[in-house]
This record gives sequence, C-alpha cells and structure tokens, in this order.
Amino acid sequence: MRILLAEDDKLLGDGLRAGLRGLGFQVDWVRDGVAAERELRAQAHAAVVLDLGLPHRDGLEVLSTLRREGHAIPVLVLTARDAIGERIRGLDSGADDYVVKPVDLHELAARLRALVRRAHGQPRDRLQSRGLALDPAARRVERDGHPVALSAREFDLLHALMLNVGRVLSREQLEQHLYSWGREVDSNAIEVHVHHLRRKLGPRTIQTVRGIGYVMPVDPAVA
Amino acid sequence: MTSPSASLRGRMTLLVVAMTGVVWVCASIAMWMDTRHELDELLDAHLSQAASFLVIRQGGEDEESEHGRGATLHPYAPRVAFQVLHGTELIAKSPDAPATPLTELAAGFGNVTIAGVPWRTFTASNDERAGRVIVAEQVASRTAIARAVLRGILWPMLLAMPLLAGAMAWSIRRGLRPLTQLGSALASRSPTALDAILVERAPSEMIPMLDALNGLFARIGNLLDAERRFTADAAHELRTPIAGIRAQAQAAMTVLDGEARRHALRATVEGCDRAARLIDQLLLLARLESGVMPEFTPLDLCSLARQVLADATPVALAKRQSLEFVAPDRLEVRGSAALLQALIRNLVDNAIRYSPRGARICVTALQEEGRSVLVVEDGGPGLNETQRRRLGDRFYRGAGTQQAGSGLGWSIVRRVAELHRMVVEVDQSPALHGLRIRLRCPS
Repeated sequence: MRILLAEDDKLLGDGLRAGLRGLGFQVDWVRDGVAAERELRAQAHAAVVLDLGLPHRDGLEVLSTLRREGHAIPVLVLTARDAIGERIRGLDSGADDYVVKPVDLHELAARLRALVRRAHGQPRDRLQSRGLALDPAARRVERDGHPVALSAREFDLLHALMLNVGRVLSREQLEQHLYSWGREVDSNAIEVHVHHLRRKLGPRTIQTVRGIGYVMPVDPAVA
Repeated sequence: MTSPSASLRGRMTLLVVAMTGVVWVCASIAMWMDTRHELDELLDAHLSQAASFLVIRQGGEDEESEHGRGATLHPYAPRVAFQVLHGTELIAKSPDAPATPLTELAAGFGNVTIAGVPWRTFTASNDERAGRVIVAEQVASRTAIARAVLRGILWPMLLAMPLLAGAMAWSIRRGLRPLTQLGSALASRSPTALDAILVERAPSEMIPMLDALNGLFARIGNLLDAERRFTADAAHELRTPIAGIRAQAQAAMTVLDGEARRHALRATVEGCDRAARLIDQLLLLARLESGVMPEFTPLDLCSLARQVLADATPVALAKRQSLEFVAPDRLEVRGSAALLQALIRNLVDNAIRYSPRGARICVTALQEEGRSVLVVEDGGPGLNETQRRRLGDRFYRGAGTQQAGSGLGWSIVRRVAELHRMVVEVDQSPALHGLRIRLRCPS
C-alpha cells in the first residue's frame, strides 16, 4: 500500500517512513504543504498522513483545498495539537482520522489500513474473494484455507486488486500502488508479478483486459 | 489587622474619644475661668453694696449682738464678716470677724490671708467720721460655687463618654462595612478567579484601592495566561521530538535490515539530544520570564564570545563552514555571564544551522560611539520582512524548518537582551548577504 507522509520534522518523518516501510507500506515523504498538495493531486497514494504544522502551506489548508476539489483520498491528520477544538476543526476540514503525537507505529499502520479499507467500502480488514483471503495486517494470503507464500510486491499487487474487485486497474495505477519514488520500475514488472500470482493462486484469479489493465473478477457467490 | 487593639475601628474609636476628652477639658477650663470671673464680679458688687449699706447705717448703735445673731442663723455666716472702724478703733464687727482690722487698705477691694484662710475684702471709708467699714468674704466660698457649677456640667459629660465611645464604634463599623465586604469577598475567592472585584456602594476612599487591586488581578491574569500558553506550547513542542524518538525506536524494532536499524537507533539518540536541548531552552526561558533579576557583574564580551565560538567550532567545521571572529582584546560590559553566553550561543547556533555547507559566518565585537557592539553575520538565506517580524515568537521557526531548532532561541535572545537593556537589530548582511544581527550594549 503506497501512502504519502507529509511531515516537516526530520526525525519524526524519517522514523515513520522507516517504521511504516518495515510494516510493508510504500512510503513517500514530503516536508512541506506545497509538495504535499502537489503529490496528492497526482492521486498516486492510497492514503496520506498529514501533519498540520507544515511550512509554506498549512496542513488544514491543504486538506480543505483537496476536499473542495473533490479528492476522496483517506486523510489521517497527525498533529501535536490535541485541543478538542483543533480536532473538530481537523475532522470538519475533511480529515478521516485524527491522531495526536506521539503515535504508536503499529496503531498508525492499523489506522491507515482501516482508512483504506473503508475508502474501498470494505467493512472488514480481511479481504475475501473467490476462495482467496488476504489479511493486510499480518500480510498473509490464504487460498482455500491454505497459506500461500508471496513476495512483498506480489502481496501489494494482490492487495490493490482485491481492494478494487471488479474494477480494472491500469498498469500505471498498479505501479503507483507498488512503488514509492526513486525505485526503478522495469517496464514489465507488473506483468511479471501478475504472472507469478496466477501461478501461485490459479490462472483465473486475475484477468487481463487487453490494452487497459488487470482486474480481479467479482466473486459470483457474492455478486 | 490582626490584634483588635490594632484594628482600624479600635484606633478610630480611641482617637475620637480621646479628642472629645481633650476638647471637653479645654471647654471646662474656659468655663471655669469664665464662671470665676463672672462670680467675682457679682460677689464683689455684693461686697461693695454691703459695705455702702453699713456706712449709711453706721450710727454708733451697738449692733454687734443683733448682727451676730442674725448672721449665725445662716450656715454661710462664718464665711462672711464685717468690721466697722473709727480711726483705728474697732467699734463694731460680725461675730466671726477678727478683732484686728482685716485690711489696712483705706478703700476698695483687697485680698488678705488671715490664719491661713484667704479673704476678699472691700473697704468703704466714711470721711465725716473718719471711719472705715470693711466687708470680707472667704475666697473658698466663691471657689465652691464655681466648682458646683462646673460639676453640674462635668458629670453629664463623663456619663456621656462611654455612650459616645459605643456610638462611635458602631458608626465606624457601619462606615467600614465596604471594607469588611471586600475582606470577605477576597477571603472566599478561589485562586483562579481573577475577574474584577465589585463592592456595592464603595466609598470614594476605597475606589483607588479597588482599582489597584483589580489592576493587580488583571496583571496576574495576564501573567497566568502567558504561563498557561507557554506550558501548552512547550508541551506541544516536546510532543514532536518525543513522537520522533518513538517512531525511530519502533522503526528500529520493526526493520530487519541492519544498516536501517543502526540508522534508526542513531536517530533515536539524536532525538533524545534534541528533546534535552529543548528542555534546557525551556528552563532557561522560564527562568528568564520568572521576573527574577540575575546578578550583573563586569564582564569581557570578547572572552565570552570567544568561548562560545570555540564550543561551536566543531559543528561549523562538520558543515565545512568558516567561523571568523574579529574583536579587540577586551570589551567591558555589565551583565550575567551565563545569560550572555546563552544569547551569543543561540545567535551563533542559528547562524550555523541556517547557513548552507561551506558558508562563512562572521562574529565581530567592536566599540561604537562608546557602546560595545556584537555583530553576527552569516551567509545563509536570510529572512524576509514577515519572517523578521515573527522572530522571537515562541516556537516560531523561520526558514528551513527542516532544521532541528527549538524555535525558542530568539525568545531567549530577545529576553536576555531586554534584561541587559541591549538593542537587537536584524537586517541583511552587506558582506555575506545572509542575516546580520547587531547587538548594541547600553553605553
């Protein structure tokens, strides 16, 4: 899951990036409000951790502008200001969650997962479709009750597809989900990962929509 | 205010009663003199009249027994006497009158003392018979009358005294009721209530005190607000480094890669240092704002600056910055060594922190128009007008918030400069194009 971290404090930003990466997130880190807004407009991230005290452009401003423009990305506000008034202002400006520093890394990760899940209309953290079960917190995948070993990229790709069951995702979209900045992406990387997933989970798990991208078909039992 | 004798009410009652007593005594003395005077005139007139009467009746008759009888019938008789003389021969006298003439005076009033008793005499002469008539009266009887008159007035006055004292005490208590109200209003006040005190129908004498009290409340309120804001700001500012430390420590526990873990652990330690520095700065600022004046001694500004620069050199060198110090041997200033060092350290730290790698930082100490001046210039990005104005706002970090500044340095600089009555000027360095801070000591 690729998330944007907007935090101006070097120590905290660096720590959160390292910690969230350790927990399986792809993290892009920006340190000011203008950069945060620019990155959010690109819509490459599943969620954003937004510090309110950002230089150049205040976090709340970024948030309200974003919401005014109709962007629905889940926003988790991370701030040192804990007054009730501040929280209300934050949530009313369009934040989906509000966490006061210092935050536990695992809690932050869980909240991010929950935000992303809810944004995709999933009531439970565990995703299920066509005999496949994916646990984002434990980063485990089961096929018909048997655990399947996946690489980090394969897991992320499957996660993205399972969050968007029935929706076609382009290769670019999938790349954005999988890779934070500065990582070299081979032009056929997604194809390779899809190939591996099909081999491990069955050929019909992921369908190719020629010229557009990939889709995980809707579970006939649910639909 | 503590013992009743020292109470305002007691004091005022005592004072008023004492003053009344003094006024009464003075009035009594005046009355005594006046009564004596009027009495003397009246009785002297009676004496002279009695004498004239005797002169007219003086016909050689033996009236001694008659007069004697008549006079002894009255209890006052022993106090009055008369003598009728013919030449030096005593021809008639009242029973109590002595056998010798009462006075040698030929005519008019006189005072004599016979056998220790003072008498008032009046002598009327009869030229036809070469005789004299002396009428006398004991002075004591006059005094007795005057005393009686005075007694008649003094007794009611003395009786009235306690009543007056009681009435005074009661009226004063009534008059001081607004003070009592104020006292109970203050006593029942919670320490957090700092709104203005209102006393109903406060007398005009109390209004300056009430105003002063309410002014004090307002000032304390402002101080407390500032304190509260400071504490809240401090708590918020500490949250970020602590959040950083936590994130780094958890990252160290989470990541498996050895190099990444070492990095996270190093960052954790760095975060602790930063939090500790922030706490130091907070404590220094709290001390500065407590209002306690530090002790000032004569100091050498140059050696203070040199010491600070020596401490800062390793950091500057690590950023490949050049740190220059231009100064005379000595520059005498008065101040607190610890505070001035903190001030210079903050200026130099900021210069190092906000200047890029390889930049020049120049500190100059000089004498200008009889004042010691310290100038810190850097080759950093400087500050625009808005940023300059916000310098010294607590926790405001001007440029490059990426830097691990506490945001308190300028508050400390401003406060220390204020305490030392130094003038701080901020502008652009003409030589290095970064920020230039000029610190002018009082002459």
